[in-house]
Amino acid sequence: MSVTAEAQNGIRIGSLHKSTVSIITADGRNFIGTLKGFDQTINVILDESHERVFSTTSGIEQIVLGLHIIRGDNIAVIGLIDDQIDSRLDLGNIRGEPLGPVVH
Amino acid sequence: MLPLTLLKTAQSHPMLVELKNGETYNGHLVSCDSWMNINLRDVICTSKDGDRFWRMPECYVRGSTIKYLRIPDEVIDMVKDDAQAKARMRSEMNKGRVGAGSQNQNVRGQLRPRYKNTPQNGLKSGSRGPINRPLSQAGVNKTRK
Repeated sequence: MSVTAEAQNGIRIGSLHKSTVSIITADGRNFIGTLKGFDQTINVILDESHERVFSTTSGIEQIVLGLHIIRGDNIAVIGLIDDQIDSRLDLGNIRGEPLGPVVH
Repeated sequence: MLPLTLLKTAQSHPMLVELKNGETYNGHLVSCDSWMNINLRDVICTSKDGDRFWRMPECYVRGSTIKYLRIPDEVIDMVKDDAQAKARMRSEMNKGRVGAGSQNQNVRGQLRPRYKNTPQNGLKSGSRGPINRPLSQAGVNKTRK
């Protein structure tokens, strides 16, 4: 019997399919986009993605990036974004320390 | 959709590849494999700080060193076209098989000798069993000396 990667990981990532997710990478960056696919090594397809750059001096800067394949090695967290709540955020007025990289 | 399927579809398209060390490579994808190793053409390499640039006609990147790949937006729509074309080819091949009812039996007949050819002693053809024997004997002789 052949089991697809999507079925194996179904409980965890399959439920996020085609929804907006936030991905925090090992270098501390935050990518937001639509999860269009993944495989057994958690390589991820992120469509219509943008990066949110945090800073303590000015609001969150959004950088439009587009279609991405992010390698699983480099992914620390994948989280579901509630589009309703997210659209209510006033990113220009949110300040925060940028994340540091993962220390191995 | 699998990431590596998308990457395969992106062949011949321009892309940006960022490595784990922060270097970026801009070029056209020539080929890729299932480890995400990639071949690029007409490459511009940018240092981590973005202050130094190198141009090279081609380069090979080991998949495990990649952080992410940025590919043109339209490529994701081409994957579906690829999949549809493949499905069409597959159904046409199946039609060919089903259509030839009597030939179907012939196909099965051709397969049978293949099973007969496999050795009956449980060893796969190309097994190292017989080759190992003279080597181990040679080893025994050496220790006796």
